[in-house]
Amino acid sequence: MDQLKVKSFTKRYLTHQGCSIIEEFPSFLTTQLSIEVDKDLLNRPYYWMYVERMQIQPQPATLCLVFDPDQPPTHRNGEYLFFGAPRFRMLLKSAQKQGRFVRLYQEEPNGFRSNISQAYDQWLCLNFKVSYLCDVKKDRLVSIGIHMHSGEIKDHFYPTIQSIPWTSKLPAHRFTQTPQLTLMEAIGEIEYALQEQLQNEDRTWAEEALERLNFERSLLDIYYPDNSQQEEKKQRETEIIWQYHPRIEVTILNAGLFHLLNTYKIMSHYDKM
Amino acid sequence: MKSIPIRMDRTWISELQNRVEQDTLWSSWEAFQLAIEAAEAESIPSFDSLVCLKQLYGFEPLPHQIEVAKKVIHQMRGRAILADEVGLGKTIEAGLVLKEYLLRGLVKNALILVPSSLVLQWTRELSQKFQIPAMAQKKEWMWDKYDFLVASIDTAKREPHRAHILNKHYDMIIVDEAHKLKNRKTQNWQFINQVKKKYLLLLTATPVQNEMSELFNLVTLLKPGQLGKQNDFKQEYVAGKRLAKNEEQLRKEVHRVLIRNKRRDGDIHLTKRMVKTIPITLSAPERALYNGISQFIRTRYHQEKDLKNMLSLLVLQKEVCSSRDAVFHTLFKLFQQHEKNSQYLSPEVAHLTHLLKQVTSSSKVKTAIQLIQELSPEKVVLFTEYRATQEMIVRELAQVGIYAVPFRGGFKRNKKDWMMELFKMRAQVLVATEAGGEGINLQFCHHMINFDMPWNPMKVEQRIGRIHRFGQKEDVRIYNFATMDTIEEHIIWLLHEKIQLFETVIGELETILVKVEKKHSFEQSVMEMMLQSENDTEIRQRMKQWSDDFQDAKALVTAEMKQQDVLLNGSIKS
Repeated sequence: MDQLKVKSFTKRYLTHQGCSIIEEFPSFLTTQLSIEVDKDLLNRPYYWMYVERMQIQPQPATLCLVFDPDQPPTHRNGEYLFFGAPRFRMLLKSAQKQGRFVRLYQEEPNGFRSNISQAYDQWLCLNFKVSYLCDVKKDRLVSIGIHMHSGEIKDHFYPTIQSIPWTSKLPAHRFTQTPQLTLMEAIGEIEYALQEQLQNEDRTWAEEALERLNFERSLLDIYYPDNSQQEEKKQRETEIIWQYHPRIEVTILNAGLFHLLNTYKIMSHYDKM
Repeated sequence: MKSIPIRMDRTWISELQNRVEQDTLWSSWEAFQLAIEAAEAESIPSFDSLVCLKQLYGFEPLPHQIEVAKKVIHQMRGRAILADEVGLGKTIEAGLVLKEYLLRGLVKNALILVPSSLVLQWTRELSQKFQIPAMAQKKEWMWDKYDFLVASIDTAKREPHRAHILNKHYDMIIVDEAHKLKNRKTQNWQFINQVKKKYLLLLTATPVQNEMSELFNLVTLLKPGQLGKQNDFKQEYVAGKRLAKNEEQLRKEVHRVLIRNKRRDGDIHLTKRMVKTIPITLSAPERALYNGISQFIRTRYHQEKDLKNMLSLLVLQKEVCSSRDAVFHTLFKLFQQHEKNSQYLSPEVAHLTHLLKQVTSSSKVKTAIQLIQELSPEKVVLFTEYRATQEMIVRELAQVGIYAVPFRGGFKRNKKDWMMELFKMRAQVLVATEAGGEGINLQFCHHMINFDMPWNPMKVEQRIGRIHRFGQKEDVRIYNFATMDTIEEHIIWLLHEKIQLFETVIGELETILVKVEKKHSFEQSVMEMMLQSENDTEIRQRMKQWSDDFQDAKALVTAEMKQQDVLLNGSIKS
């Protein structure tokens, strides 16, 4: 993330989280934090405990965030915010915490009005972070959607629906149908699809990690040929496994119930792209 | 291979179910998008990049340091000996490795074990350069409270601390000055061997000092078996002490776990240093004060004949070469202690006070002003040992319209930063009393005045190191102020002419000094030379003797280093 992106992300985050922007210049901005954001970014649990115990008026902090360290504000102290800054890491964490679950309805194009009632198609979308771990690590973001009525699975679901206008209120003359799948069934289907995907991936990385693991184990057998230092050998063995053993960890980023009109039109349009 | 184990996080499912059932607490579309963008920014799409480089601010690692970090992670798999020569930035290299693992989530806790004198420096370095929330371990309860601790190895290996550490699993252990782990019979070695750890970095500039078996012991901490078994090792590789038999093979094995950069390796180089001694003639009153103080010290010495008690007077001798203001403070304190019971000043003290009053201006300051004006608008850092001198200089410079800011160790962090900022953006001169310690990197300035000379070569080298470092683009100019016919002139002659301290990078200065300073520190030796010599010729003779000892020690250290390279690399690359 370059500084421009850091700034635009920060601004969007603050605005969306109900923090007011007190002043804004090209190189910095000052913001009055909301209570929620103060808790997420400033890490002062004792203050908040005190405020809640004593039931006093909470005073969330004002932050001045600087995006260009060569042009800091002259009238107040600012804090340089860059990609590696601890505060920005907290901000990224907070953004993820605040956007976990949605339920949204597709909006009609502007000016489009229909009095004919129409049903929505419900899709469940799960966004995962897949981490491949051994002594090194990489991540991949995966988005899978499932049609709650037919059970059809769609990979790259989030990019497909990204440009659609969404609203969180059910529009007039629209209704939802009871889906064929329960939530748990749908989740199970998606997990199954994901596991299949993962098992069919290139696994050279894991094989190489196992080779390293086995090689170092063989060194141990050279170093500890007899049973005299079993405990030490065992500890080293545990450490080697800890260091190398290949595995995949899947965590959820967020999940959403998306209600689409004309599902198949949108989906097939995307497939042609 | 069979299937790869997959762990699925399912703790979130009930949260989603609750929301569906109770129809509350839904996030907005914008928040959903922000969350995904944040996750994209945090995720690391490849095994073999160094993502930490994009997250640093305020300093740029050097190419050889980046290479080391890559090699440690991708070839040595996080267990390595970092054996760069002194001053090439082993701390930075270790910091890069730690930061990279941290960002990838492979390290969640780490313990850094260092000599107690380096605990604070490491803590600062990790938090300032790498934004790693490292704490200096001070109390027992801290072991379980903080994830990133810097601790003295001597404390850590003793109870009750030892038990805390052995109870935990550390994703990473870093040991600085790891040559202290050479002997497997020591508590140090056994302690590190016992700690449960995933990654391990051992930092030392001298992995082999005496015996090849030392190397065996270090490598065993990282990867037992890499060099075979202890007995096989002796048979296969070690013919005699310091001589490896099966050299080529051993070297190959060692280089799988050890990285060593040397100063003379191509891409590591510094700009030139130009040194100028500026002779300064004392004014008549200054001369009288100098003579008065020197005489006073001599008399005391001949009365007591005890060098240890003389150390407090030594300060006075040094100060009189710096400024009247510096002398005044010490003189005042000294007499407060010794003569607080008497109503009147003793005649000799009264005499010194009288001499002090006669000095109304400083010849050194005049010279400094002239030099700084000539150099204007270029920036100058001026070092003095004494706070009183520092205050006087800032005052005097201000009077002639030169903007100077002070800097000293006692300043709070914020104030230090602020002063550095002022110097960088506005002031022409930084008047500093402290060369050691962090937060004073002056690559943007290339003129340095030694207003007075520390009687400690290490301090001198630290001063130079502040501006003559990686990142300095200009040749560095050093001006040494030498008051003629004083002890200062002799010292500068010794440091400059006899041991070439200012011109050459003596990377192993500390190691050499340890060998030379066996009996007395340099400071004490100089004092001794001064007090016991009848005249200047004799002082010079004794100083020459000292410098001969220094050169011998230097030759010895150089030979050891070469020996090391022969062992590690097979030949001496020149």
